[in-house]
Amino acid sequence: MPQGSAEVLEEWKCLKEEYQKLQETHKLYLQKLDEVTKLQNNCSSSISHQRKRQKDMSHLVKKCRKGSSEEDVKMLDEIKEKMMTQQNVFSEMEAFLPKKNGLYLSLVLGNVNVTLLTKQAKFAYKDEYEKFKLYLTVIMLLCSFTCYFFLNYRFLDAILNFLLVWYYCTLTIRESILITNGSRIKGWWVFHHYISAFLSGVMLTWPDGKLYKIFRNQFLSYCLYQSFVQCLQCYYQSGCLYRLRALGERHNLDLTVEGFQSWMWKGLTFLLPFLFFGHFWQLFNALTLFRMAQLPDFKEWQVMMCGSTFLVLFLGNFFTTVAVVRQKLKTRNQKPKSL
Amino acid sequence: MFSPTGLPECVRELEDLEKDYQQIQETHRLYKQKLEEVTKLQSSCCSAISRQRKKLRELRESLQQCKENHPTPNLSPEEMDSIAEIQESIKDKASAFCEMEAFLPKKNGLYLTLVLGNVNVTLLNKQAKFAYKDEYEKFKLVLTVLLFIFSFTCRFLFSYRVLDALFNFLLVWYYCTLTIRESILISNGSRIKGWWVFHHYVSTFLSGVLLTWPEGSLYQMFRNQFLTYNLYQNFVQFLQYYYQSGCLYRLRALGERHNMDLTVEGFQSWMWRGLTFLLPFLFFGHFWQLYNSMTLFRMFQLPECKEWQVVMCGCSYMVLFLGNFFTTLRVVYQKYMNNQEKSKKA
Repeated sequence: MPQGSAEVLEEWKCLKEEYQKLQETHKLYLQKLDEVTKLQNNCSSSISHQRKRQKDMSHLVKKCRKGSSEEDVKMLDEIKEKMMTQQNVFSEMEAFLPKKNGLYLSLVLGNVNVTLLTKQAKFAYKDEYEKFKLYLTVIMLLCSFTCYFFLNYRFLDAILNFLLVWYYCTLTIRESILITNGSRIKGWWVFHHYISAFLSGVMLTWPDGKLYKIFRNQFLSYCLYQSFVQCLQCYYQSGCLYRLRALGERHNLDLTVEGFQSWMWKGLTFLLPFLFFGHFWQLFNALTLFRMAQLPDFKEWQVMMCGSTFLVLFLGNFFTTVAVVRQKLKTRNQKPKSL
Repeated sequence: MFSPTGLPECVRELEDLEKDYQQIQETHRLYKQKLEEVTKLQSSCCSAISRQRKKLRELRESLQQCKENHPTPNLSPEEMDSIAEIQESIKDKASAFCEMEAFLPKKNGLYLTLVLGNVNVTLLNKQAKFAYKDEYEKFKLVLTVLLFIFSFTCRFLFSYRVLDALFNFLLVWYYCTLTIRESILISNGSRIKGWWVFHHYVSTFLSGVLLTWPEGSLYQMFRNQFLTYNLYQNFVQFLQYYYQSGCLYRLRALGERHNMDLTVEGFQSWMWRGLTFLLPFLFFGHFWQLYNSMTLFRMFQLPECKEWQVVMCGCSYMVLFLGNFFTTLRVVYQKYMNNQEKSKKA
């Protein structure tokens, strides 16, 4: 037998054995996968069943409390405590069980499961989201810089606006996935991405005309400033979050946001003036647009729509941030009292 | 369930709950353990498959070298047999690997990675994949009907640029969502041909450009033609969906089509069995696209034309026409060639 084909036959025999092993592993895998799916369904249904019973139980406890002795009340309170702890444990368990998608994700993705089933996967996904935000913010910074200082074409502005719409829509998708995976993003910070997507969409449809040209430069420099502040925020917030997570003071899935949150008092207070300046720029944009609506050449509906949207953004951003500041002042005032 | 009268009932119920709670914790612990085992098996399967693939490739190359170095007459019949057998086996193994990989998590392509990140979208059993495909079809159907009603309203009832803008936004969103869902389906083993995916990207782009077209005399000139074209397109898509899904169902039952084959907006080879009547409708739609692009190119010659959207939309419609027409023509041509061969043999 020629030398070459002997080797080939040897190699072939080896491969055949490995292939057999692979087939067995795969069969075992499919079997275990089936078991895991059954366990998943079992867990999910038991937890929801148990939750229902606990709700009935707490009604029962409330009823029993009325007209019970001192000791009994204490015992009932203990029962309530225990149930609260169990509820929390259930929430933690559910973080690793597949969950049905919310309305938005069902519309966009359908019923593909987006729950990441290990802590590392969740954390890696969150990291990737942060990186995505950072890269896109830098790209938008460059684009708005180019449009503002170098090239003045409606066509390029349209591309920037499309990029903004795509960016905000993608953020909403990714944030919905993060929320499904246990991230606790506050209501306004998610909602304001929908509003920003809407605003960019309306800007997109604004035809080239006198009024558009009046507002264009203000809008582009506002975008420049916003992108710059978001870069700052991403950079400093992620460093701060890293430190706080290492100290165990923040949840693993806490994200960088475009606002000011309570944990940011520890070293990021310098960001506040930048943020407030951005909010007031939004107010200024709204007022500019409302004033433009008074002009005689005004005929585009985009002017009023953008003005109202900027106003909504300002109000939401400003008052959410002011609430955080007020909270801090309140706790600071309470501290000396407790001493 | 029961109407308790006091503390003893509470305590009893609590004990019951406690027992069940312990059980849930036990089940959950077991679940996490099995999940870890499954994850390990997944990665070992994935790496074993890629290792085998690499070795098979090397083996095929050495077989090739073998055949070159030792021409056929020098080899004994047994050796030739075993070489032939090995080559057959290699092909079988390659397709077996594809089937195995359908149930192992896969890394997302570029588009899905950009939009979703690295969340795994592989559905890990046949029913889930099929249910997802069904849901995709239903989504297309519901949105097609919605778009039909919307374009009817804009064409015959209300004539406002705002409504048109809303309609265009809906189109852009619809095509973008289709591209996302189709990428997920392709990740899950669906074999959607290149042009039928790509033409959704072109349609998104076209709707986006139409969105930015400002109100003006040229826009008013094109608007009605565009809306009527949309009405016709949605009607044909509805027809296609209706007849194609029935046909696919029948063919899948006969085992002649793959479970993950989808209804598309074009004509495919399997549709000769009973759906030939759709062809004239499709060609008419394609020629309407050509007519749209000709209209836009003519509008571009007008002195009042200053909008870049005119020429951009014209080019997009041209691309759509060329892609749709020639892809469909190729299917007809192939059928014609097959018929020729059959009649030659007969």
